[in-house]
Amino acid sequence: MSTDPDASDAFGAGDRDAGLAFDALADPVRRRILAVLSESDECSAGELADRITTVGRTAVSTHLRVLRIAGLVSERRSGRFRYYAIEPGGAAADVIALLRNLFQSSLGEARSAAESAAGHREPARREAAG
Amino acid sequence: MGTIAVAVEEFAAVAPEVVFDRFGRDGGGWLFGASCDRVALGEPITLRAPIGDGPPVDVLGRISDLRRPDSITITHDQPWRGRIRLRFTVAPGGTRIRLDAHIDAQGLEWLMRRRGHPVRDRAATGPRIGALTSRSGSGSVFASAVANAAVLAVDEIDVAGGIGGRPVELLHADDATDPGTGALEALRLARAGCRTIFLTTTSATYQAVSSALTGHDVLVVHTNMNEGGGESRLRIRLGERPWTQIALAAGPVMRSSGGRRWFLAGNDYVWPRTVNRIAREVLPGNGAVLVGEGYAPLGARDFGPLIERIAASGADIVLDTFVGADAAAFERQCHAMGLRERTVSLGPAMDEATLERIGFEASEGIHGVSGYFQHLQTERNGTLLQRYRERFGRWAPPLSSLSESMFEAIHVWAAAARQVRTTDPTPVADEMRHGRFEVPRGTIALDGRHHVEQPLHLAAARGATFGSMSDSDCTVRTGAARTPPGRRR
Repeated sequence: MSTDPDASDAFGAGDRDAGLAFDALADPVRRRILAVLSESDECSAGELADRITTVGRTAVSTHLRVLRIAGLVSERRSGRFRYYAIEPGGAAADVIALLRNLFQSSLGEARSAAESAAGHREPARREAAG
Repeated sequence: MGTIAVAVEEFAAVAPEVVFDRFGRDGGGWLFGASCDRVALGEPITLRAPIGDGPPVDVLGRISDLRRPDSITITHDQPWRGRIRLRFTVAPGGTRIRLDAHIDAQGLEWLMRRRGHPVRDRAATGPRIGALTSRSGSGSVFASAVANAAVLAVDEIDVAGGIGGRPVELLHADDATDPGTGALEALRLARAGCRTIFLTTTSATYQAVSSALTGHDVLVVHTNMNEGGGESRLRIRLGERPWTQIALAAGPVMRSSGGRRWFLAGNDYVWPRTVNRIAREVLPGNGAVLVGEGYAPLGARDFGPLIERIAASGADIVLDTFVGADAAAFERQCHAMGLRERTVSLGPAMDEATLERIGFEASEGIHGVSGYFQHLQTERNGTLLQRYRERFGRWAPPLSSLSESMFEAIHVWAAAARQVRTTDPTPVADEMRHGRFEVPRGTIALDGRHHVEQPLHLAAARGATFGSMSDSDCTVRTGAARTPPGRRR
């Protein structure tokens, strides 16, 4: 389609994984799986299937395989169980970690600002309701 | 669904009210120095997030939910569409703060690119076009609704059957308000198969893109106001031109200010320089007196010395050719330094999205002159505003001449492509260049010689948005006399 002579070699073999990564992210179910995984260190296949209710268990397995091939998700086997986590070295892990660190440090600053605003006043002694 | 959520928590040894009430105050540490004029529902807010190297990235949004002392929600459109929700709950000895942020696929893609991960575009499934605009840097302010406008135009085209029975695919790119980045991103869009690329960017980015795509069979359409020049068979520049803008606005703005001393102030690149050269030619003929001229680089945030020069010059009117976040910072500082009591300003690129960032108090006395304002009473504008709000919600940034120009340019392209039954750049460009099109701003007509005729309007700030000035002498058609519309999209 493109007449651009650069088109054929625009993306070398070294870029293949990141390309796959974005293809993998294009699907809403796969993004949902990543979202669930981003909230915990590791999830078993069963737990994931319980939390992703829009598609069946077989479909979840298929999506996990796509995510694994794209280098976004890692798999660990223990006996007959499989556990999944966000691949630590992948592009998705990098940007999710970046966001998490950004927001965490901003909340740390918010805490300091609020506590210093309270100054020498008595710390709050309210108890959680219930 | 469809988004990735990031959640973090913190504990503060103070009551929820204390945490809540510190938000947005003194830019004090709270969520990337969150700054807004008031912590109130609907209020525009800017977070400065340190993402990657270089200056912080402005997250532009507004407060979309507010429940003291339980929660604050920010809905943002730059640099991607998303939502950040803060919740404060009582915990033993203090407050548990929880932050939930949602990021969509476009946001993930933007972050991956910004972090230097190579991201491949998917294989094309239909005619592919690119929208290159500013998701970050100074231009992210004027461009805040541009990506939305592009999405809306493509949605409408696809609902109407696409082009040749196939849906149009829209690829987004961010020039980061930097010409070099813009050129690289334009090359990426071209390699991904975009045969036409629409730019709502500075003219500096347009020039870099136009030159980088030399020899590529790609049509480049610059949609927003510009100084003109460099047009060719595959280069179309729509948008308002400075000569007609200044010629229309000079008289009414002088009458409204009661003075005729002008100071020319703007960013230091091709568009402001050209606007000011034209102003030096046009204004004296209108009885104006030029009392000074000054520039600051794109990205400048301290205009103190320049504003002192303006004050010392005794200017009645500032011709403001700062753009985006620079224009917002400049006008706010003019107000803070008391300049507004003596001067008004006229901004040929001043739009509703920028005005909103200048805020209610500092906006008084600012004038804009464009082919489109949100308050235009055309039937197509009524439809556009309604569809925009239905699609993007009440918290999306205002439309303005810049975002409307992206919307109309894509529709004009689609009308031309349908007419010539191809998306090949050359026949489409030839068709666009001879067309007359009904768009939300009215009728625009191209005469085949790179000249665009469109109605122009003068507006004055009413609160933090624009309202029309007395219409009798403030709306003219530029160029040739009006003739009946030939083609409708």
